[in-house]
Amino acid sequence: MRRDSFAGFHPFVNLAYFALVIGCSMAFMHPLSLAISLIGALSYSVVLNGRKAILFNLIYMLPLLLVLAAFNPLFNHAGATILFYLPNGNHVTKESIVYGVAAACMYVTVIIWFSCFNKVMTSDKLIYLFGKVMPALSLILSMTLRFVPRYRHQLSVISQAQRCIGRDVTQGNFIQKARGGLRMVSILTTWAFENAIETADSMKARGYGLPKRTSFSIYRFDRRDIIVLAILTALAAVVLAGAAWGSNSIRFFPSIAVKGYSPFGAAVYGAYFIVCLLPVMLQLMEEVKWRFIESKA
Amino acid sequence: MLKQPENVSRRRLGKRTLTAALLILIVIPATILMGVFFLDDRKYYFISLLLLLYTFIPFAIVFEGRKPQARELVVIAVLTAIAVAGRSAFFMLPQFKPVLAIVIVAGVSFGAEAGFLVGAATALVSNFFFGQGPWTPWQMFGFGIIGFLAGALFRKGWLKRSKWSLCLFGGAAAIVIYGSIMNVSSVLMVTPQLNLQALTAAFASGFWFDFVHAVATVFFLFILARPMLEKLDRIKEKYGLLEP
Repeated sequence: MRRDSFAGFHPFVNLAYFALVIGCSMAFMHPLSLAISLIGALSYSVVLNGRKAILFNLIYMLPLLLVLAAFNPLFNHAGATILFYLPNGNHVTKESIVYGVAAACMYVTVIIWFSCFNKVMTSDKLIYLFGKVMPALSLILSMTLRFVPRYRHQLSVISQAQRCIGRDVTQGNFIQKARGGLRMVSILTTWAFENAIETADSMKARGYGLPKRTSFSIYRFDRRDIIVLAILTALAAVVLAGAAWGSNSIRFFPSIAVKGYSPFGAAVYGAYFIVCLLPVMLQLMEEVKWRFIESKA
Repeated sequence: MLKQPENVSRRRLGKRTLTAALLILIVIPATILMGVFFLDDRKYYFISLLLLLYTFIPFAIVFEGRKPQARELVVIAVLTAIAVAGRSAFFMLPQFKPVLAIVIVAGVSFGAEAGFLVGAATALVSNFFFGQGPWTPWQMFGFGIIGFLAGALFRKGWLKRSKWSLCLFGGAAAIVIYGSIMNVSSVLMVTPQLNLQALTAAFASGFWFDFVHAVATVFFLFILARPMLEKLDRIKEKYGLLEP
């Protein structure tokens, strides 16, 4: 993965950003808001994943968008402008088609934002963040994440041992294979519990439960984090004020109604645009800076 | 070793009830009113997501508040890891997963709270491998509440440790509880209001998925329930883990 500038910020900034942007994407249904958020999500996913993101968006997201957009007008007949009638006698309205397209865009945008979230908010960052508020629960999460690959490895060890005595899943007829598989799962479960209790006793012996535990990854909240967080807070305040004022709201039923142009509305959309494109802009700034300080000799 | 004094467990219940009461009486109505007034009463998905998150809060507060022992944490982590590994082992068969069966066994064996934690943590952790999305909180809630119910009903004596009782509960929970939660969530995501037709369509199109899920749950409970419960009993006996 290319180094992403935004992912290098403090995990709290990352989490606050994704909470804001995903929450706003779910709540704002105005077409302009949707377009801004979709552009932000698409460009950031391309920055993060390169060509893989383009393929993912084309192969999975585009068909999903079309299917979801078709779902609403088929089952929702609210709206004043009747366009045509379906063979079963129900009518299709302009409003429900527009709403269907908007809801599908919203859904797809949220999924793409989550694909960026997966890439940026790695599990160690989440555990670092929640380790302070919920130490026990985040410890469960981190242990589980460690156990899964460990059990896979142990399963292959068990499988090799069983193969030596002819009781592996690859040996014998169907019933013998199934029995071999179940026996391996049973061995693994017993081993897992015995091993876990040992782990627990070892944790206790090393002082689990004492205050001031350290975590694997260490993050510092430094000046650039404060700057970005302050900018984000200011922009979020503008966007949320706009939402409370209703300048980016839209009414779909019974007829479509949006607020007309106003300077404040323009400011709200401007702020939202900057919010959605913030990670991409940070990345661009980083690259420009890099090119600038690169030796020209 | 983990047995808590009587008064601690009573106080614990009180704290959970208090948090739940606060949420139900003040925070949840406030959220719904906020949705009606500020979001034009059209953002059902957003509001329902917030309500869903509130259900996790009492569990988290209580669990953290009683400072669980290392052994208890590790057992929950092992059960979760087994469920996650089970989900990824059957990745090629859609919906045919042992997750719900393991969550139910965990609830029956270690109590309602452990059942909830195993269910919710399994959904969260397995989505680190399969991809997080707007569905994650719903899955966490769906699995968690079934684990909780399994533990609570077992404590009440309505759910027996017998194979048939568990299979019946598992099949019903997969279709009625988990299926309904996921179908309603998908409808909330794409239509502005819950109407009967959209719900019927979602339930009809989701039926075979729910059905396969139920068959898988019954199948795995039929095979796994007894040996798993025996193993867990053995561990509890051997290391003196008592139900919290």
